[in-house]
Amino acid sequence: MLTCIKGGRIVDPANKRDEVGDLWIRDDRIVAPPQADVRPDAIVDAEGLIVMAGGIDIHSHIAGGNVNTARLLLPEQHRAHARRPAATPLSNAGWSTFETGCLYAEMGFTTVVEPAVSPHHALHAHLELADIPIIDKAILAILGNDDYVLGLMRAGEGARAIQDHVAWTLETTRALGIKVINAGGVAAFKENMRKFSFDDVVPSYGVSSRGIVKALQQAVHELGVPHPLHVHCNNLGMPGNFKTALETIGAAEDLPLHLAHLQFYGYGSEGKQGISSGAPQLAEAINAAKNVTIDVGQAMFGQTVTISSDVLRQFSARGFAHPKKYVIFDGDSNGGGIVPFEYKAGSFFNAVQFAVGLELFLLIDDPSRVFFTTDHPNGAPFTVYPELFALLMDKGLRAQWLARVPAEAAAMTTLPSLTREYTVYEIATMTRAAPAKLLGLSDRGHLGAGGRADVALYRPGKDRAAMFRSAARVYKDGDLVVRDGAVTHYRFGRAINVSPSVDAAMRKRMEGYYDARYGLPSDFMAVPEGAIPRPEPFETIACSS
Amino acid sequence: MASGEGVMERAGAWIGGTPASLDEAAAEAARLIMASGQPLFAGLGTDVDGARHAVALAERVGGVVEHMHSAPMLRDLDSLRETGVMLTTPGEARVRADVVVLVGEGLDEAWPGLNERLLSVPARPDGADIQRRIVVLARDAPSKRPGPVETVVFGRGAGFAANLAALRARVKRRPRTAAPSQHDAIAELLREAKFGVAIWSAADLDALEIEMVNGLVRDLNESTRFSSLPLAAGGNGAGALAVCGWMTGFPMRTGFGSGAPVHDPWRYDAERLVRAGEADCVVWISAFGAPPPEWARGSIAVALCDGGARPAETPNVLIEVGRPGVDHDGVLHSSDTGTLVAVSARSRSPDGALSVAEALARIAGCLSDGSGEAC
Repeated sequence: MLTCIKGGRIVDPANKRDEVGDLWIRDDRIVAPPQADVRPDAIVDAEGLIVMAGGIDIHSHIAGGNVNTARLLLPEQHRAHARRPAATPLSNAGWSTFETGCLYAEMGFTTVVEPAVSPHHALHAHLELADIPIIDKAILAILGNDDYVLGLMRAGEGARAIQDHVAWTLETTRALGIKVINAGGVAAFKENMRKFSFDDVVPSYGVSSRGIVKALQQAVHELGVPHPLHVHCNNLGMPGNFKTALETIGAAEDLPLHLAHLQFYGYGSEGKQGISSGAPQLAEAINAAKNVTIDVGQAMFGQTVTISSDVLRQFSARGFAHPKKYVIFDGDSNGGGIVPFEYKAGSFFNAVQFAVGLELFLLIDDPSRVFFTTDHPNGAPFTVYPELFALLMDKGLRAQWLARVPAEAAAMTTLPSLTREYTVYEIATMTRAAPAKLLGLSDRGHLGAGGRADVALYRPGKDRAAMFRSAARVYKDGDLVVRDGAVTHYRFGRAINVSPSVDAAMRKRMEGYYDARYGLPSDFMAVPEGAIPRPEPFETIACSS
Repeated sequence: MASGEGVMERAGAWIGGTPASLDEAAAEAARLIMASGQPLFAGLGTDVDGARHAVALAERVGGVVEHMHSAPMLRDLDSLRETGVMLTTPGEARVRADVVVLVGEGLDEAWPGLNERLLSVPARPDGADIQRRIVVLARDAPSKRPGPVETVVFGRGAGFAANLAALRARVKRRPRTAAPSQHDAIAELLREAKFGVAIWSAADLDALEIEMVNGLVRDLNESTRFSSLPLAAGGNGAGALAVCGWMTGFPMRTGFGSGAPVHDPWRYDAERLVRAGEADCVVWISAFGAPPPEWARGSIAVALCDGGARPAETPNVLIEVGRPGVDHDGVLHSSDTGTLVAVSARSRSPDGALSVAEALARIAGCLSDGSGEAC
């Protein structure tokens, strides 16, 4: 099947294209325009439309044990969903895996990463991902509060052993990368430490957060895993914590590092309320550190629920729960904390958070190193992306939003003075080209020949949010799955993972370790292909070494 | 989806007690379901894939999803979704818990590995063994436990919750009124725990008792670390709960009559639906040997059961299925890990056994609702 998407504005930053032209698709791939005498099987009139590759979200909590616990904790949050006209199964089930896939696809997204899966829960996460229709997905496996890594470091086993363990974890959990969440802090909380900073030491292990981050960063890099270590820093949400983020950036030295949801570390402690923006200092550091990428974790006003494997932080935040209930889960490594929360425009603190996120977007020069997340659902649900893109593209709209927040709070930030407006090309860079590069997905995020035919067509208009909320057409692997903002039918994507070579001695060691510590076989966390109820549920990409 | 061709020969199927082919039985089951005003998918004793198919089918036909152990699971869940809880894993309890509090009865039934995997091994959070201290808050004479045990018999009836409340008050150092002085020693022991874990089975505790234990654990975390391990219900209840959660957003006792899932613990209680005559087609699913309860007698239209779980009264349609992890591979919640785990068949028969998922896929394939799309 040869399709020609004709006469659209092709915005493809990966290939430095922004021009009106034709896009050719053969089956599930983008192809070069054929010779003039070749007739396509179908012609799609894209005149007046913007044509982009499918969007890629690098950090969104869409599946796994903690997300599912949040669903069960908050039945009132999804009881009153508006019915959709769609005739696809369970797409009317609010916050279900099915609805998640539909909502992403309707916005033109075709690949999403669930960034926080404890290794022991990998099978559960993959089962949920398998029930998310249309999009491809991936997980990041969490290390850095687990007894095994901390034990290796305590024993002074060295970089090679940690590298072998990281490889074993990636293979066993079928993950695309590794995340560390409040490195050491969650383990320390089990021993009743209630604060944990970058140079604090985990009591029973004698290793610091800095040491853990650097060891894992090095291991991920040496293994050639395309996605650098994904770091959730210490002291999330605490006034003055921009210094923690600066310390972490400094510790990265010249190796690649990704900092997740930096907005939550963008706080100074100036002013009468003891909360101010630290975004300018962070942006300056990011602009200088070319090896570092970040995603923002933008906070938007409204009710949401915070879901994090930073158990220490979530425990500390339990008093702010709205509604007043929470789950704190001391897991085998990280576990999780689920605390419902409402961001209020009238709250001084929340207003600073809102502004800090936008400051980071606007003060970091390179749109290929800053990503657009809301840390779904921690800052806001992913469904606010269209509003977020509109805010980035329109300073007048930002002024309207700022008019809703306390003026004294806005004054603790630089947001009112920022006039930058993102272009469509920059939005495409941040949502397509850059995330594909960051994750090592060479056939995604671009519209060049050989690329996967994940394509989104948008109808531009004055209301930019409306344009991004409701794609005119979306193709997944060349299959038309969304028409005029509505999913037409399901197909099921794959979970993308890396599979570095695993040392046989490490397999043996893990068997002995699990037997001695837990009395369990080490394969209880395995994710056999046959356990996932979809044909060909996985796609493996290569490591660089 | 997994509905291979070769399954016809290996399945036992009956219509009205007379042997039938699987195709005939599936077609008859589909006819009964389509003719029903409100089909009820109950029992739900099956693996993850079986539960997935049951939820998908219930949504498609506007039915209700229920589980044989919903009542205790919802008691735990109600406390969670009304107040907040602290949870941990069997592994973390084994490695770290210097104090284990066993609340109520029925713990070994809920977790057969309790003694062997937890109570008879020392805690070892950091390379050196720690002698675990075990506190038993019993209704009457408690089971024998390995190691030194502090036992308090709280008695049956309302006294149990009252004693839990009194203990909680003493943990908070609230003034003692009628609380026995024995509570003071236990309260001190709990306060001195470095990482304590309370364990119970909701099958034995009522809602108030569960809420009181959760509150006790929350209170202890003001100064030390304490968590809890509510034991999972049988029949892969925790696995079915997880599936219902991600597919619908809600636990079981969810109905699809309106086109979107509606969760109502009273309205969609299977026993009530049957006794009130609101469910006119009961599809009973039980692949772990559990027989139907008393209220289901004579009202089962379609039974998907393993050999040990057949209803005494002949259902309209009976399809024999295998046991997950015994006759066929599957994914089940494990009490030993607290997670979903892939299990391989232990005694795979040469032809393989029909799974609940396969049987439901066959039935779904016979539905004449014009929808071709399965999930």
